[in-house]
Amino acid sequence: MGFPPEFIGLANYIRLFQEARFWNAMLNIGKVLLFGVGSQFLIGLALAILLDRAIRGKTLLTTLFLLPMVIAPVVVGCTWRQIYHYQYGPLNYILQKMSFAPITWLSNPRFSLPSIIISDTWEWTPFMMVVILAGLQSIPDQLREAAAIDGASSWKIFTNILFPLLKPVMIVAILIRVMDAFKLFDLVVLLTQGGPGESSETITYYNYLVGFKHFSLGYAAALSYVQLVVIIVIANFFLRFLKEKEV
Amino acid sequence: MGKWFQRRSEYVVIILFFAIGFLLLIFLSPMLWMFLTSFKDRGEFFTYPPVFIPKSPDFSAFFHGLELGGAKGIMDTLIIAGSCTLISLGVGALAAYSLARFRIGGKNLAFWILSIRMLPPIAIVLPLFILYQSLRWLDTYQSLIITHTVMNIPFAVWILKGFFEELPSDLEDSALVDGCNRFQAFSRIALPLVAPGLVATALFCFIFSWNEFLFALILTRSHVRPLTVVITSLIGGHEILWAEISAVGTMASIPVIVLAIFLQRYLVRGLTLGAVKG
Repeated sequence: MGFPPEFIGLANYIRLFQEARFWNAMLNIGKVLLFGVGSQFLIGLALAILLDRAIRGKTLLTTLFLLPMVIAPVVVGCTWRQIYHYQYGPLNYILQKMSFAPITWLSNPRFSLPSIIISDTWEWTPFMMVVILAGLQSIPDQLREAAAIDGASSWKIFTNILFPLLKPVMIVAILIRVMDAFKLFDLVVLLTQGGPGESSETITYYNYLVGFKHFSLGYAAALSYVQLVVIIVIANFFLRFLKEKEV
Repeated sequence: MGKWFQRRSEYVVIILFFAIGFLLLIFLSPMLWMFLTSFKDRGEFFTYPPVFIPKSPDFSAFFHGLELGGAKGIMDTLIIAGSCTLISLGVGALAAYSLARFRIGGKNLAFWILSIRMLPPIAIVLPLFILYQSLRWLDTYQSLIITHTVMNIPFAVWILKGFFEELPSDLEDSALVDGCNRFQAFSRIALPLVAPGLVATALFCFIFSWNEFLFALILTRSHVRPLTVVITSLIGGHEILWAEISAVGTMASIPVIVLAIFLQRYLVRGLTLGAVKG
């Protein structure tokens, strides 16, 4: 910051797109979106269907399930750091009890990113569940009953009636999660600091390192703009979707 | 669902019960582990096989955690989250009312406001850092209050706009005929009627600010220490005080858990930015 600024044109962007570390961070966040948001959606959908069929205590159960989502991501990170502890963590203890070999969750480049994805899935599956459950409950019972009387099987009712009606809700939930997961930062700081090596570095965390640890502000700003463009593209899908609904 | 739906046999109910119970156990056990760790004495974390339930519940981690910055963290976070919630609510309600009743700026202004919420914080924290540095505002309450408020206002406006739009304008119209001015119609008629919306918005803003980490990490040093930053700094040391970390984590979680229980009804609406009516 001490030097007078010098205009370098697009040099930062050219450097960015040629840098392996940038693409590695993009690939990592891509994996988080694919596997993390993907499993959050599938588990959330299953949970919502289960809870929708629960007879009693639906409100209490929903509240209990959504607790992981409301506590601070920093606290989530601390908790999972204990759970993943190689020697003393409960997860490896359970693995060993089931006669599996213990896993070096956070210090093995093969498992560091999956560990983050598992914690993120634990934290955000309740979001998918709560949103899809609200969608399910807004579908009138008569629709299902009428189909059942006409002899449709459970599976048929789900694929032909519930799924099409739920589609808008699912799209909203996935788009919001994709936008949020793309900014994944807190869990990376708490669990792995991007390591070992760069195996679990996400784009936001890399941006943080460049800006606030290496202090190359110009390069950090270029990185920020690239992320902004990605978010704007996703946000545009979301906003267009909302606008159509309002018309 | 077909046949099950009509006459649910006991068999299905039992399977359902166990499936839900098993998943609930998975989703609650990490939090339970943190809660139990906070009562462990020093060294009880570092044992194999792991101790699940501490032998003699030890409260010293709570007191020690408060001394290690937890108490200041709670105070600072309360100041920041409280102020941020009040400002967001005030500005948000006024903006939402005018957007709902007068269609100011057409549809595009409302959507532009919403889009601010989607901005990646990392993209704006760098310019904010430089801005606050030149104002000598780094490590002050106002820098975090303003930043959190900027992130919360779009949310407050958008959610309250929905509540105002659902409110028929007849009541306000008759109040205007009876001699109220527009502001009185807003503050005396419309505002009390959207009270549930105000509560929901306030709770959301409060939880966002309470849990926020990236801005807190970068914009504070030593004078202001929000809870999330305190917890992270406890991990940094060469000896990790897991009991203290868990104790502070538990104290940080209890308020938001209590709020979430009250908030449950509005949660979906808030989380999806009004896209899905919960």
